[in-house]
Amino acid sequence: MTATIRFFARFRELLGTDIQAPVEAGATLTGLVRRIAKQNSEGYEAIFDESGNFREFVIIMKNGKRIERGAAGITLVSDNDEIAVFPPVAGG
Amino acid sequence: MIAIQHEDVDIGALVRNAKENGTGAVVVFDGIVRDDDIRQIELEAYEEVAVPELRKIAREASEKFRLLHVDIVHRIGRLDIGENILVIVVSAGHRKEAYEGSRFIIEAIKAGVPIWKKELTKQGGRWVPGEHPHGSGQPGYHIS
Repeated sequence: MTATIRFFARFRELLGTDIQAPVEAGATLTGLVRRIAKQNSEGYEAIFDESGNFREFVIIMKNGKRIERGAAGITLVSDNDEIAVFPPVAGG
Repeated sequence: MIAIQHEDVDIGALVRNAKENGTGAVVVFDGIVRDDDIRQIELEAYEEVAVPELRKIAREASEKFRLLHVDIVHRIGRLDIGENILVIVVSAGHRKEAYEGSRFIIEAIKAGVPIWKKELTKQGGRWVPGEHPHGSGQPGYHIS
């Protein structure tokens, strides 16, 4: 199974984007993003706190739908899912 | 016209096109790259989510303020000082609805549409912090 991780804005600069990540059965959204983010310590620290939880301001989406931070740890990732992780928006 | 695009937009053409039957007022919001001691600004969007969000905002504004026509064009990529970032054109029967509808749209975009700006300076760059720390793609961005 493979999922696509898309980081945006500052997170993209630190970690890249459109990352094709292998996904094991039972993988959670938090676990998957944590594994990918560990490739860059600054990127990891921008997204996760000392306990390994998403920082309060981080926004997470799965297939275009918002996932609350509290639910990300129990949300399973399936084949072909698109996970987006980004900081607060600043358009306009 | 609801779009996220690199190209600039012909505001005059949008205004002409906004004059539907019954129009008594057209309001144009034109967000511009301000000279805050920067060289350029760079905009990035999660387009697959941002475009449907813009459509949803346009639909909600049309219903809430009885708008006759709505255009939202948000630009991405590198823009120079003075360039258009965001153009919103709305028409309505009366000015009150047109002004309020336009204001609703810009506030909703700032609150919830996944678009980001980076100011490019001589020293490097800095991401512009969002005004709404939790905003993105979920209900609840309505202004009162």
